[in-house]
Amino acid sequence: MGLLKKKDQEQIKDRLAEEMKDTVKIILFLTEDESKCHYCNQTKEVLQEVSALSGGKLEVEEYNYEQNKELAKQYGVEYLPGFVILDKDSKHYNVIFHGAPFGHEFATLLEDIIVISNGANPPVSQEVVEKLKAINKPVKIQAFVTPTCPYCPKAVLTAHFFSMINPEFISGEMVEASEFPELSAKYGVSSVPQMVINDGANSFVGAFPEKEYLEEVLKVL
Amino acid sequence: MIDVVFFDLGDSQGSTETKDQYDMVIIGGGPAGLTAAIYASRGGLDTLVIEKSSEGGQIAATEKVENYPGFISIDGLELAEKFSDHARHFGATISNRGVRNLTFCCDKKTIVMDDSSEIEAKTIVIATGATHRKLGVPGEKEYEGKGVSYCAICDGAFFRDKHVAVIGGGNSAIDEGLYLTQTASKVTVVHRRDKLRADKILQERAFNNPKMEFVWDSVVEEVQGDAFVNNLVLKNVKDGTQSDFPVDGVFIYIGLVPNSALLKNLLQTTHDGFIKVNPVTFETSLPGVFAVGDVIDKELRQIINAAADGASAASSAIKLYF
Repeated sequence: MGLLKKKDQEQIKDRLAEEMKDTVKIILFLTEDESKCHYCNQTKEVLQEVSALSGGKLEVEEYNYEQNKELAKQYGVEYLPGFVILDKDSKHYNVIFHGAPFGHEFATLLEDIIVISNGANPPVSQEVVEKLKAINKPVKIQAFVTPTCPYCPKAVLTAHFFSMINPEFISGEMVEASEFPELSAKYGVSSVPQMVINDGANSFVGAFPEKEYLEEVLKVL
Repeated sequence: MIDVVFFDLGDSQGSTETKDQYDMVIIGGGPAGLTAAIYASRGGLDTLVIEKSSEGGQIAATEKVENYPGFISIDGLELAEKFSDHARHFGATISNRGVRNLTFCCDKKTIVMDDSSEIEAKTIVIATGATHRKLGVPGEKEYEGKGVSYCAICDGAFFRDKHVAVIGGGNSAIDEGLYLTQTASKVTVVHRRDKLRADKILQERAFNNPKMEFVWDSVVEEVQGDAFVNNLVLKNVKDGTQSDFPVDGVFIYIGLVPNSALLKNLLQTTHDGFIKVNPVTFETSLPGVFAVGDVIDKELRQIINAAADGASAASSAIKLYF
């Protein structure tokens, strides 16, 4: 008896079998204190279920956050549940999730897994790729979302795709706004998707096409 | 059980490879476009649907649909998924990309994509839909994302135990207002007339909902606040008086504007941009170019007749051009 519905399980299995190439590893940070993390258990269960449907291609490694704070910091995980997706050589592309990947964000999760499994060459136009590669200062993109928002996966994926292209300087995070109300309040988030760049140096609302998205990102440099 | 959604989000790794030539290219993947795709594919046409954001269009952002035959109540998203699965089942390709431009020249119809690649089509169906109309009052733009919202299902979570206003009196306004009563402490509907336009069944639910209140005969003159929305300036249209109406947020559902900017000066439209079509064939003023759904000039804008438009357009295209 899993958390994922039977029908969904079958589709996930087919899609992963069809589209995953190399192995992928998820590094997941959790706490046992449920009062501090309402969705840790469910996130763990769902990721384990997806792993079980991947035909051995997706591995999930779990860490206790309190005992591994240094490691979490290295991966850019600050809130729980938090996880990152690494490629077959354990390369970190700064593809970060803060909060449960449920509802529409499950689509983001699957897409990220598939893209990283295929060598992390996201479908981004050459013009945008060149501008992203030229970035040489740290850029942190936090995409605030809710699981019921149909426009949000695109906004998160754009952040993740940007970080895949230049992981040395760019990090892309999903932040599930309703799980982290204090963080949302800090940046005044009340519409999603809202992107907060470099801790509020710039922010914008809406799933912009990649070029306009990039222009907003470049404003902080 | 957890609800998860996993539309194929796009072109990653060529999962939806597109060719450079199709019998029919449908721009927009809502109910109208996807139904056109079902009829075109079944009619033997090589069919491509281009959708720039989420498959299903506006219905993907609708919580419950209760007026599509066969489903007493279905999640908007689930219905959207059924439509796109149906279109794919009969062989249509759905591509998650944006269109930059259309050119019609010398018997050729060319779609220029965002990445500058070009696709040639024998026939085109415009199914680009419509977007929420804005109030156009001071403060609206300034407070967008700071208490002004156009998507209850996206942003409702931020107004838990707060007082929000919903502007409008049609089906969308009342539907979304009812959705917001699940989280908000109070939902006030502000409507410019003294009765609602929404379907009777929705009106009854609204009037019976203890969290819902109404301000009649009133329009919003200004949205005010500090960092966040905290007040609406309302004007009573009957006596012209102005008053302050303190709220924590405002959701705007006052009708639609057509997504027809791409086609400006190419096709005949009404003065506000809705595309004019032949009511039988759904062909526009340009031969071989059809238009369907919310983007066209018509009375009723529902899923059922959007789908019907799509069916009619695809079958007329087959008759006329193949």
